Amino acid sequence: MNRMLNSLARGRCFVRAGMLFATLFAFALCSYGADSDVQVELNSKQAGPRTVESLTEAGIIRDYRFAWTSMARALEINTFDPLEGCFAGQAKDWLKQTVASQQRSGISQRYLDQNHRLEAVFYAPEGDVMELHDTAEYQVQVIEGGRVIHDEHVVLHYVVLMTPGADRWVIRQLQAVPQF
Amino acid sequence: MRFLPACAAICLAAASGGVCAAQDIYIHAPAAVTAGDEAKLSTSGSGKATFYLSGPGVSRKTDISLGEEIPLRAQDLRVAGRYLAVACSSTCRSTTFYVSAAQPETLAFLVHPSRVPVAQSDAVSGVALPFDQFHNLVLTPLNVNFQLTAGNASLLSRAAPTRDGIAWFRSSSGRAAGTLQVTASLDNVPVLRAVQEVASDPCNLRINGQRTPAGISVQTEPVHDCAGNAVPDGTIVTFTATDAGGKSTVDAPIKHGIARAEIESSSATVITAASGVVMGNELRLGAQR
Repeated sequence: MNRMLNSLARGRCFVRAGMLFATLFAFALCSYGADSDVQVELNSKQAGPRTVESLTEAGIIRDYRFAWTSMARALEINTFDPLEGCFAGQAKDWLKQTVASQQRSGISQRYLDQNHRLEAVFYAPEGDVMELHDTAEYQVQVIEGGRVIHDEHVVLHYVVLMTPGADRWVIRQLQAVPQF
Repeated sequence: MRFLPACAAICLAAASGGVCAAQDIYIHAPAAVTAGDEAKLSTSGSGKATFYLSGPGVSRKTDISLGEEIPLRAQDLRVAGRYLAVACSSTCRSTTFYVSAAQPETLAFLVHPSRVPVAQSDAVSGVALPFDQFHNLVLTPLNVNFQLTAGNASLLSRAAPTRDGIAWFRSSSGRAAGTLQVTASLDNVPVLRAVQEVASDPCNLRINGQRTPAGISVQTEPVHDCAGNAVPDGTIVTFTATDAGGKSTVDAPIKHGIARAEIESSSATVITAASGVVMGNELRLGAQR
């Protein structure tokens, strides 16, 4: 009887451990998806001629954060999949070229501690395109064969064009400039 | 900018009188590079090194000889943005440079809406974005000429400077139904869009009718908007008949400019018509004899 109870208790213990592992695994995935490494804030007070509604603001922040998380992932592990859905047009083309080029050269890039201060500077009258200025601050590492050959903390300026897709805002242009 | 131990200048046993293996590398980028142009980086030092170029759309690794210029191919510099160049031997040195868009070659032109009622204020808008041949957004200020033409009449002709790579306009629609040609041109390269202008809401809706053996036959006069444009077929006119038995309504689409309805009623009847927010005249018919 005692043996049966012990066995049952041991079984429950395994089940609990399994559940705990599953919970932790799910949490790890969620926290990756939550983009905790990418901070985005948006100022849309100067945007015009159309006013940026608060729900649109929230959508832009969410989708811009997700796009940078996806881009960082694509450039770190040199895969195209994360780029699907977040990028379109020219931005998607050159990101794919970058990944393909990195695959050939054996180089990858790692983006860390991203902080993006977005300013909406133009929102089309019909809401079909928005231009943003991103002052981005992050740590970027260039890696070859597991060896970091370049590690730099940068503050960069990006001119960004975003357009609304079926269920999200997508980045169509992401162009680094020396200054705004 | 910091360099990691793997690439840092390492003086092997320098403290114990050994030979310093570190080499001074210097790498210098040009101040300005235009997309699609070739460029050269200058280096100092001697011996062999590995050169890395990382930028939008490119990631390249090549062997170089220090002290010589590093040629950058035009095809590697087609995308505007920031590029990182790193040269590594026993130590790594890096430099960055920006590639800017080339001359504008195409114009992305978004116009809304595709169909618009006539005589609506601020109803037509357009956004133009100049791009170079490599699809980089041209950020230097340019003048885009917007023209709106309906038939032979010019509704708008305006030069708008681009700001951060965007020029836009907003305008009222014309007074006549038909095709509105919307043109944006940059350096005499026009981009054309068409907006269909349609009649606005009906104006002065008038009806007439007479008794028939089956009841009442009622119809509108040709339906026009306030600018005299024929309201498109398919627009619904609602006829309302009120008699001793109560009120009844019937919807009839405009066909060949006129909406018709048959109403069953033998007593004295008052008929009205409405389309959208516009009411027509009242038609009073006596009881059937």
